[in-house]
Amino acid sequence: MYHLLVNSPFGTEAATLLPRVETMIPVLYFGLFAMSFDFISGYTGYLSFGHAAFYGTGAYFVILTANDKIPLLPPGTPFMVSLVVAGLVAVALALAIGAVSFRLTGVYFAMITLGFAQVLYVFVRGWDYVGSNPRDGIFLNGANGLNIGVPGVDALNLSIGALTGDEVSLGFVHLGQTEVSYYMIGLVVLVCYFAMQRIIHSPFGKVMVAIRENEERAIAVGYDTFRYKLGAFAISAFFAAVAGGLLAGYERTVSPDESFNFLVAGDALLASIIGGFGTLAGPLYGQLFNETFREFLSKAGEGGGLLPYLRTHLGSGVMGTTIYNGLTVQGAIETFLNGHASLYVGTLFVLFVLFVPNGLLGTLRDRLGGPVSKEIPARLRRFR
Amino acid sequence: MMELVPLAGVGSALGDFLRPSTLASVFIQGLAKAALYVMIASGLTLIFGLMGVLNFAHGSLTMLGAYLGGLVMVAFVAAGGSSITRLALFFVAVVVVFALLAGLGTAVEVGLIRKLYDRPPVYQILLTFGLTLVLNELVRIAVLFYGMQPQTDWQDAFGTKPGFLTNQIGLGSVSVNGLALFEIAFGVLTVAGIWAFLTRTRYGLVIRAGSEDAEMTEALGIDVRRVFTVVFALGTGLAGIAGVLLMWDPKWGASVPVASEALLPAFVVVIVGGLGTFRGTVVAALLVGMVDAAMSWWFVNAIDFAGLPEMTIFLILVVVLILRPQGLFGVEEVGGH
Repeated sequence: MYHLLVNSPFGTEAATLLPRVETMIPVLYFGLFAMSFDFISGYTGYLSFGHAAFYGTGAYFVILTANDKIPLLPPGTPFMVSLVVAGLVAVALALAIGAVSFRLTGVYFAMITLGFAQVLYVFVRGWDYVGSNPRDGIFLNGANGLNIGVPGVDALNLSIGALTGDEVSLGFVHLGQTEVSYYMIGLVVLVCYFAMQRIIHSPFGKVMVAIRENEERAIAVGYDTFRYKLGAFAISAFFAAVAGGLLAGYERTVSPDESFNFLVAGDALLASIIGGFGTLAGPLYGQLFNETFREFLSKAGEGGGLLPYLRTHLGSGVMGTTIYNGLTVQGAIETFLNGHASLYVGTLFVLFVLFVPNGLLGTLRDRLGGPVSKEIPARLRRFR
Repeated sequence: MMELVPLAGVGSALGDFLRPSTLASVFIQGLAKAALYVMIASGLTLIFGLMGVLNFAHGSLTMLGAYLGGLVMVAFVAAGGSSITRLALFFVAVVVVFALLAGLGTAVEVGLIRKLYDRPPVYQILLTFGLTLVLNELVRIAVLFYGMQPQTDWQDAFGTKPGFLTNQIGLGSVSVNGLALFEIAFGVLTVAGIWAFLTRTRYGLVIRAGSEDAEMTEALGIDVRRVFTVVFALGTGLAGIAGVLLMWDPKWGASVPVASEALLPAFVVVIVGGLGTFRGTVVAALLVGMVDAAMSWWFVNAIDFAGLPEMTIFLILVVVLILRPQGLFGVEEVGGH
C-alpha cells in the first residue's frame, strides 16, 4: 500500500505525508502501551501516572532473560514465554502497588503511582547488576533476533528486529526484515487489543465504567470496587509489560529514560487524549497521529517529511530571502521545523484538551452516535 | 547484586556520621537544600491551595526563570562589576523575572485555565502538561538559535556568580559553602514574605478565605475569579524566582532538563506536606532537604549507589502517602472543586 502510493504520480507528496514502516512499528508497540494506560485511566478514571513502571518492567525483564540474568529462566527461553512471564511479573508488581495506591483517589492516586515509578526508575538507573552502565541502558547479548510465534513449533516462529529479523518470500510477495517485524508485532498487538476489548465488554468492564461514572453508587449497588480497580490495574499492567517486551524485542536495547521515566507515561497520556480517552482503539490512532506528525517534522527527514519537501520545492531564491533581522527563510525553516515537533504536538494537545476533549475517535463516535464499526455499516446500508 | 559495603564499614561510617562536625555540616547542607525545595514548591502549593489546580507546568516555569534570570545577569555583568553590584543585579533579576512570569501566569490563567473550571480536575493536569511541552520546546529552540549552550549547564550564567559565594566560609569547626548560606537566607526571606502576605495582609485573608470556601467568599461580594488570577500569577512568579536561585547552583544550573528535575521534587514536597497547606510545604521541604543531605553524605562516604538521595526522596513520598494519605498537614478534600 505504502509502495503503491509512493510510486504513484503523487509520490513525493505521499512520501512527505505518510509514515514509513520503520515508524509504524513503534506506533504499534507504543500504541499498545497507550491502550493499556487508557484501559485503567480512561475506563476507571484513575490517572495512573506511573504506568511507565510496567512498560519498563516488561522491557527489562525480556532483555535480562535473554542475557541470562533472571534466575530460573535460561537464556534460551522462547521470547513469547518470557513476554508472558514479564506480564505476570508486572501483574505482581501492580498488585503490590495497587494494594496501597487504591486507597487514594484523584490527584493523590496519580502522585503515589508516579512516586513508585520514579523509585523504580532511579533504582534501575543506578543498579549495576543489569548492565555495566545502567544509566545508558542495557543491550541484548548475542546476535540472534527474538522469535515471535508459537513456542516449540519452529515453523511458526519468526524473528523480529530491525537488522536481525527474518525475511519471508511467499510467491511473488517478498517481505523484508522490517515488514516481517511489522506484521508479527502487529499480530501480538492485535491479539492484546482483542483481549482488552473482550474484557471491557464483559460485566467486569461494565463495573469499571460504573466506577468511573460514580464510584459511590457502584459501592452502594454492592460491588467491592477495590477489587475491581485492583484487577483492572493488574490486567492493564500485564499488557503494558507486553508492550515493553515488544519494544525490547524489536530494538534489542532499552534505556531507563525510554522505559521507566514518567515522561513515557506522559507520551501515552498524549496519545490517549488525542485519540480519545476512554475508547480502547483511540490511543493507537492517537499514537499514529503523534508519530506521523513527528516524522513529518523530523530532523533528518528520512523517508520524506516536510523538511526535504520544502528544500527541494522552494527555489534557492526563496530560501535566501531575508524575513527579519538576518533570518532567512531557510534559517526560519531550520529553526522552527527542524525536529521541533514537540512544540506543535504540545500546542495541538492543549487545543485538544480545550476544544476536543473526547479526542479523535471519541468525537467521531459522538457524531455517529455509537461505535464506528457498528455505525458505518448501518449508514452504508441505507444507500443500498 | 548492588555493591554494598560490608556491615563493619557501615558501622564505622555511622560513627563518622554521628560526629558533631559531620552532623552540623549535613544540617547546614540540608537547610540549603530545604531552602531550594521550599522555593520551588511554594508557588505550586499556593496555586493548588486556592484553585485546586495541580500545575504540571511549574517545572518549566522554574526553568524559564533560570534562563531569564541568567540573561539579565549575563547582559549586565558583561560590563564588569564588583561582587556587591553582582549581588544587587541578582535582586534586579529576581524582580524582573517575577514581573515577567507573573505576566505570563496571568495570560495563561485568563486564556486557558479559566475555561476548564467546570470540568473534572484531570483536565487541568492535562492542560498544564501540554503547556510544559510547548514551553520546553520553545526554550529549546531559543537556546539552539542563540547558541547559548554547548553543554547542559549554561556556563555564562555561572560566571556571573560573585566570588564570595563560591568560597568556603568557616563557622566554628565546620566549613560551609557560601552559596549554601546565601540560599538559606534567601529561602528564609521568601518564606517569611509569603507567610506575612498570607496572614498579615487583607489580600492574604481573601486568599485564605477563598481556599476554605470559594462559594461563601463569593457570597461576601469578593470576585474569586480575579483572586484566582492573582494567585496563579503569584505562583508562576515564585516559580520564576526559584529558577533564578537555581541558576547559580552548580547542582542545577539553567538547562532544559531542569524543568522535570525541579518539578518532581516540588511535587514530592507539596504532597508530603499536604496539598495546599503552606505550613506543610515548609515542614516537608525541611524534611526532604535533611534526608537528601544525609543520603548524599552516605552516598559519598559509605554506600555505593548513585541514585540513593533521589530514591529516598520518592520513598518518603510513597511512605507518607501510605501512612497519611492527606499529607503531614493536609486535611482531606482540599481544593475540592
